[in-house]
Amino acid sequence: MLAISHLTVDYGSARALDDLSMDVPRGEVTAVIGANGAGKSTLLRTLAGLVKPTSGSATLDGAEIIGHRPEDIVRLGLSLVPEGRSTVPELTVDENLRLGGLWRSRADRSSRQEELYGLFPVLADRRHLRADTLSGGERQQLAIGRALMSGPECLLLDEPSLGLAPLIVTQILELVRGLAIEKNLAVLLVEQNAVTALRAAHTAVVLNLGKVVMSGAASEIAAREELRHAYLGY
Amino acid sequence: MSTFLDYALGGVGPGTVVALLALALVLTWRSTRIVNFAQVGQAMFTTFIALAIQELTGSWVLALAGAMVAGAVLGLFVQVLVLRPVRRSDTSGAIIATFGVLIVLQSLAAMIWGGDPQSFPTPVSNAGIEVGDRVWPISPYDLLILGTAAVLVVALTLLFTRTGVGLAMRATAFNPEVARLSGVRVGRMLGLGWALAGLVGAVAGVLVAPSATLSPNSYDILLVFAFTAAVVGGLDSLVGAVFFGVMTGVILGLVTGYSDSSSAPVAVLVLLAANLWLKPEGFFGRGKARVV
Repeated sequence: MLAISHLTVDYGSARALDDLSMDVPRGEVTAVIGANGAGKSTLLRTLAGLVKPTSGSATLDGAEIIGHRPEDIVRLGLSLVPEGRSTVPELTVDENLRLGGLWRSRADRSSRQEELYGLFPVLADRRHLRADTLSGGERQQLAIGRALMSGPECLLLDEPSLGLAPLIVTQILELVRGLAIEKNLAVLLVEQNAVTALRAAHTAVVLNLGKVVMSGAASEIAAREELRHAYLGY
Repeated sequence: MSTFLDYALGGVGPGTVVALLALALVLTWRSTRIVNFAQVGQAMFTTFIALAIQELTGSWVLALAGAMVAGAVLGLFVQVLVLRPVRRSDTSGAIIATFGVLIVLQSLAAMIWGGDPQSFPTPVSNAGIEVGDRVWPISPYDLLILGTAAVLVVALTLLFTRTGVGLAMRATAFNPEVARLSGVRVGRMLGLGWALAGLVGAVAGVLVAPSATLSPNSYDILLVFAFTAAVVGGLDSLVGAVFFGVMTGVILGLVTGYSDSSSAPVAVLVLLAANLWLKPEGFFGRGKARVV
């Protein structure tokens, strides 16, 4: 389980996260939703080590991850898929995946890679092509595949639906949900598209101005009309 | 026609040296997005070290090996001690810092070895080879330059395309954030990039020394040639740097042959200006044009 407690992040004088506490249990997808500027991306980037928090802690299965560098946090079992289908466009599909598991042993890497090609058959067909020749949906799958190559316990996804066709978004999120259950991963999904996120997630947290304003079962939150109007804008 | 061929072929050897220096510039550019103006200073300094080893042991191969080790160490030093602290503020500061390193290295070399030009021996003959009934403008030493450069380029290509470290270095160059998130120790890769560049530059320094004579400032003009070759090649492309390095040598050979050697730098600057005007992203570069 990923346990976040009293996490506060400041950008200069602006408070991006304000004493945020939440749990991300294993075997589930936990969605973080909220408007632009609610602190969703900041939360993920802080957990991955890219942003230094002012105070607070986060533990993955009991081990503290705050204060480590990004390259060490991956080794502790937490993997981030940043916003914007972040692959390395100049590298091939195969190289992008290998990159994700470079720090692991060679044997470990190849078996993982084969497993991922089973999971994303479309990538297997294109393994020798450069990543920038892929479609948006394929690149998002590659970005997720790269993050899975490290064999994480906890997977963080930043806006995976951004700029993708609804059908592809549904497919990708279903796959993520399946992975969480099958591999007992703790998945933290950040989405601006609340409808999509709530459909894929088990539980959800609504963020506003860096604070948790509501949390509970995803279906429950989806049903709360006044909440939708107030924070999600639909 | 035969004079044309002679002038052009005569430029291949010097062009190969330019190619190696351009390669060194591309390696630092790819790892840290900084043009290292101290590159020729580092090459000059390590060539003085090579000369000392040569005089001590009488072995050219040992001298080259010594220069390579010194070049790698010096490259790493410059990155860790000078650029890492400066980089925290901004990129243009870092580029100016490399000028500072150049001046320090030149002054240091003048203090240790003096300012007089010194001659550097060649391990094999530098006279044109006679094939058929004519003397060609290519010497056994030129062939040694070509061979050494080829070995170096093949080794670098294998490193970048066939090894995990090479993959990590490429990923770091193209997208440092994704590289870090994948567990790549980005800081080490940057240092390694500079060390490799220093090594390649050191080889270029030793190879060019017999024809350039060695003094603290004698390599300065090479920076103009190498920088042009690297930029025209697209700054990001190893192949581009090597190709246009050799081409620059050939152009220099022709200009020097038909006019005189003082016109050579002007011709190269014209090439650079034309490239920036017509194709600012370079011929082997990808993506958007650079802001110069």
